[in-house]
Amino acid sequence: MKIIVLLKRVPDTEAKILINSKGSGINEEGVKFIINTYDEYAIEEGLKLKETVGGDSTVTVVCMGVEESTEIIRTALAMGVDKGIHICDAALEKATPAVIATVLAKAIEDNGFDIIFCGKQGIDYDMAQTQAFLAEKLDIPQVNVIAEFKISEDNKKVFLLRRIEGADEKVEADLPVIISCAKGLNEPRYASLPGIMKAKKKEIKKLTLADLDSSGASEEKKSTIINWLPLPKSGECKIIEGEEPGEKAVELARLLREEAKVL
Amino acid sequence: MTTEGIIILIALSAVLFAFVFIVYRLVKALRMGKSEDRFNNFGQRVKSILVYVVGQARVLSQPAGIGHFFIFWGFIFISLGTGEHILNMLIPSFSYEAFFGTGVAVTISFCQDILAFLVLGAIVVSLFRRFFLKPVRLESDDPKAGREAVFILGLIFVLILLMYGIKGIGIIQGKVDGSSAPVSNIAANLLRNNLIRINVVESVFVWVHHSLIFFFLLYIPFSKHIHILGAIPNIFFRNLGLPGTLTSMDFEDETADKFGISVLTDFSWKQLLDLYACTECGRCQAVCPAYLTDKPLSPYRMIHNLRGHFMDEMGSLLSDNDKEYTEKPIVPEVVSKDELWACTTCGACVQECPTFIEHVQKIVDLRRYFVLTEASFPPEVQPVFKNMEINYNPWSFGYADRANWAADLDIPLASDKKSFDILFWIGCAGSFDDRGKVIAKSVVKLLERAGVDFAILGTEEKCCGETARRMGNEYLAQTLIELNIEVLKGYEFNRILTICPHGFNSFRVDYPQAGYSKPVVHHSEFLLELVKAGKLPSGSTGNLKGVYHDACYLGRYNDIISEPRELVSGIDGVDLIELDRHGKRSFCCGAGGGRMWMEETIGEKINETRVNEILEKNVDQIFTACPFCMTMFEDGLKACGNENVKVKDIAELLLEASKESEKGKG
Amino acid sequence: MNDILIFGEIRNGELKRVIKELVTAGRIVTEGTGGSIDAVLIGKGASDLSKNIAGLGIRKTFCVDDNLVEKYSTEGYAKVLSDLITDSGYGYIFFGATAMGRDLSPRVAARVDGVMFSDCVDLRFQDGRCIAKRPVYSGKLFVEIAPVGKIPVFITLRPNNLPPADSAAGETETEMRPSGVMEDMIRALATEIIPMAGGRPDITEAEVIIAGGRAMKDSESFEILGELADLLGGAVGASRAVVDAGYVPQSIQVGQTGKIVNPKLYIACGISGAIQHLAGMRTSKVIVAINKDSNAPIFERAHYGIVGDLFEVVPALTEEIRKLL
Repeated sequence: MKIIVLLKRVPDTEAKILINSKGSGINEEGVKFIINTYDEYAIEEGLKLKETVGGDSTVTVVCMGVEESTEIIRTALAMGVDKGIHICDAALEKATPAVIATVLAKAIEDNGFDIIFCGKQGIDYDMAQTQAFLAEKLDIPQVNVIAEFKISEDNKKVFLLRRIEGADEKVEADLPVIISCAKGLNEPRYASLPGIMKAKKKEIKKLTLADLDSSGASEEKKSTIINWLPLPKSGECKIIEGEEPGEKAVELARLLREEAKVL
Repeated sequence: MTTEGIIILIALSAVLFAFVFIVYRLVKALRMGKSEDRFNNFGQRVKSILVYVVGQARVLSQPAGIGHFFIFWGFIFISLGTGEHILNMLIPSFSYEAFFGTGVAVTISFCQDILAFLVLGAIVVSLFRRFFLKPVRLESDDPKAGREAVFILGLIFVLILLMYGIKGIGIIQGKVDGSSAPVSNIAANLLRNNLIRINVVESVFVWVHHSLIFFFLLYIPFSKHIHILGAIPNIFFRNLGLPGTLTSMDFEDETADKFGISVLTDFSWKQLLDLYACTECGRCQAVCPAYLTDKPLSPYRMIHNLRGHFMDEMGSLLSDNDKEYTEKPIVPEVVSKDELWACTTCGACVQECPTFIEHVQKIVDLRRYFVLTEASFPPEVQPVFKNMEINYNPWSFGYADRANWAADLDIPLASDKKSFDILFWIGCAGSFDDRGKVIAKSVVKLLERAGVDFAILGTEEKCCGETARRMGNEYLAQTLIELNIEVLKGYEFNRILTICPHGFNSFRVDYPQAGYSKPVVHHSEFLLELVKAGKLPSGSTGNLKGVYHDACYLGRYNDIISEPRELVSGIDGVDLIELDRHGKRSFCCGAGGGRMWMEETIGEKINETRVNEILEKNVDQIFTACPFCMTMFEDGLKACGNENVKVKDIAELLLEASKESEKGKG
Repeated sequence: MNDILIFGEIRNGELKRVIKELVTAGRIVTEGTGGSIDAVLIGKGASDLSKNIAGLGIRKTFCVDDNLVEKYSTEGYAKVLSDLITDSGYGYIFFGATAMGRDLSPRVAARVDGVMFSDCVDLRFQDGRCIAKRPVYSGKLFVEIAPVGKIPVFITLRPNNLPPADSAAGETETEMRPSGVMEDMIRALATEIIPMAGGRPDITEAEVIIAGGRAMKDSESFEILGELADLLGGAVGASRAVVDAGYVPQSIQVGQTGKIVNPKLYIACGISGAIQHLAGMRTSKVIVAINKDSNAPIFERAHYGIVGDLFEVVPALTEEIRKLL
């Protein structure tokens, strides 16, 4: 079985994210980059599936991103992934999900695939679109935000639990399929040292747009970010004053609903 | 040669042959272990033998050791007597008197007589302890261990009685000079009128005695008394470095598919020799914070079980043709995972062991295997490692926030200053923990007041790697250590100052292994230095009764015991009292060895145990010199429902006291 | 391209409330383009439910209800929507940023070669195009994003950010429409919806966590937290102290050695906020601290704080929120 895992290099969850001086994006200075958190669940599920299915199954990570993405591909290889495909091309720097999907689709088709795992969203742009665009390009079904994964005996069908509001949705899908993974699906493994050593020798195939013969990247740009906005300063803790507990509670409920917008 | 002589010659030859063969196998088995250089510093090693074998220094550090002292020396002199007797049977003309003169012979005989009597006393006391006092250290879940001890003590007891019998008869027969053997004289008096066929009785005594001796010789290697063979070499080959030292690992070989220790033959020969050296005295167990709080770990049991395993496997290990044989994994077959992770690496066991067994190194080596090779450890450990890898601290704080605590304090940065006297290493707790930050800030204020030329690394500082190392993640530890060395090498300074004993220890033992040696000073030493130099006031406070808790990595590991006490008791108004377990024999707070970041789900909580011990002393404050001890005690106090007793770092205390004293002046 | 389409999500036989906010979004756009707002409802009971959005100024509501769209499938629903969009040439298509909306919208966008803006929180119309505001980097920043060229724009809108539309004049025409879905188009199908076991999500996945600390007296007292959690569809969490005390299971422990959580709302009740706890919940979007001790370190991390007894504050808060929802 050919298992594909999509990978993205994103700023660390703890990194300070500030707008750069040109106002054209974030200031990457001093920012640590990591494997997109949700992609780790995808890697783990891919590896688990390989262990379940056995045979000559392979797990291949496909990553589109800057030169330094090699580091996160190596991390995935250290966790046990067999092979890496790294698509790196300056022309892709500000690619939209549609373009990314076109490029990824080409690389994945060239490699061959039976199932694709990815994270439910990138924790940088938080768009959660690429998987759907990719599914459409590859003409395969998609199942998003899954928390449980099972495969049928004949490896042709998957049984999934997809997290929706306040419930789980049971989904059945035919292979090939693309599945986006959420927290709770599994506990991603820690790379062993022999794994890290072996990863140094595993293949990472580097591809540019020319290699992929992909017309996707020349597609017209369909959207543009016109403004980067910082968060309004949250500042200090707002201590809610009031005569009695009930009064404070009423005010808190109001603030949570109207100001924080979390109710 | 007499018939007796021939029989004894044959028996002796057979026994010696068998004994040499057994010892040969034991030595050969050691050679199955990995190499380790313990042959350096010969003079120091000979000195160890004199102090710890001849002088029995560690044995005598506890009252029960006096018994051992007598048994040890009694055994030697009794053996001299037995040797003489046997040689005499072979060569009738042989005697010490004939060979070495009367003086020597009389001395030996006298010492033997007196010591053997003391041994009898020691045995009675030992049995009394074992059966009536039942000290913690003799607790064992292996019923064989206790039986064996009683059997051996009984054997020695019988041997000594027989020896007195033989000597007594010798006196009666005029073969032995009774004046130099007072106890034997008594035996002679008792026997004189009660024996009819004295010669027959004598030869029965002699043959029973010698048979038992031969039996004992062959029994030793298969019992806990193997330590008679193992202890002396183990003391000779002991770790002469600082007690906190761990072996370094080499990651150059990229084809290696295993790291750390999973089977017996992964141990070094010295680690295997440790197994022969254990006397099962249980001193390690009696001080182990894990054992004393009902965790499954007991250092004694671990060594006992490892030795049992070693002995069981020895046949297969030494066999040449058994190609099919695969070694059993130590964990979980011999040591459970819970035991492995229960250790706080406090080092109390190693410190107490009379034969210098290195328990902590073994535990770390076993952890190394699971962390590095299997990537298997308690689930809560994974985020700790990941945080250290990504953000260089065990908590999930962004590394760029490391110097946030110092934001408003205008503290000089190493990157601005380049050259300075003191590099103040803040550590992760000082940088991120709210309580730790207070310690860091207090020290900064004191340094400023004393006019110290210092700087901090700010966001260039990274986790020192100490925790990762003791949790078995040597790869991560080395990575962090190298990153830090890279930064440290860019600046010129004289000493590193730490507020955390773990970082302190790491700079003393871990960093030099990575090629970076720089004098390091803990803030308890440094602040005292400043007070003594008159750069800081010793301060005063209202009446305050407190205890100082010794952090393991400060007191036990690095011998910094008097400095914090001197600093604290120098403050006017402080009434410093001592805990029963203090100084080198302090009791761990429960945070070491990475336990700070693990769940403690089995048994009593170590921190609460220690807090309860402290609360019995009715103190106002607990003084600490380690941010982790502080966290553990604050948690422990809350859990005990005590809101009155406060935990203060000695720097906080000094700062408050110096303010107080100034107010007084004003 | 001047008209807009809003998607009405049917879950458990009910129309999701966010549709009224989508109408508001639609109005922001149509005020600029001068076009009209249409709605589409797919699934069982679509035509009945269409009555719920009468009187909001919607021009036409398409109802699609046959056995192939009775259960949700990305492909089946995408077929319905893409056909409708191709037929009618909508410029903007709005969805709620719900599980279904986030799954469906990009698939349709891909199919009709559109562009999509996810999880938007605000909209404005300027220079002939709709500019959407959306959070990025887990909410650490926002961007304003705008379409380029004449293409269908798909927008998922986070619930509770725009006010629900008030009534407006005009008749709403209802049109039943065949799904056009064939059985073999559906390769992934939602077969069943299972309410969460025990009614509460796992704390690592919960969007709302009500956590109790040392101030909780016993396991029974956690019920007042549970009541609020259930009201908000959230989970109950705990600090190490109460887990150690045996009041609650370790599985709900938040912190360094427990679970690392990242909810939208974290209400810490009687939790002082030691580093080991903070390490587990620090990144929560909105942190509320309720604690008797005004010096508790948790207040330094919280966005909102109440100094008071949780046993008084929490029940009052539950009562008030019940009224609001």
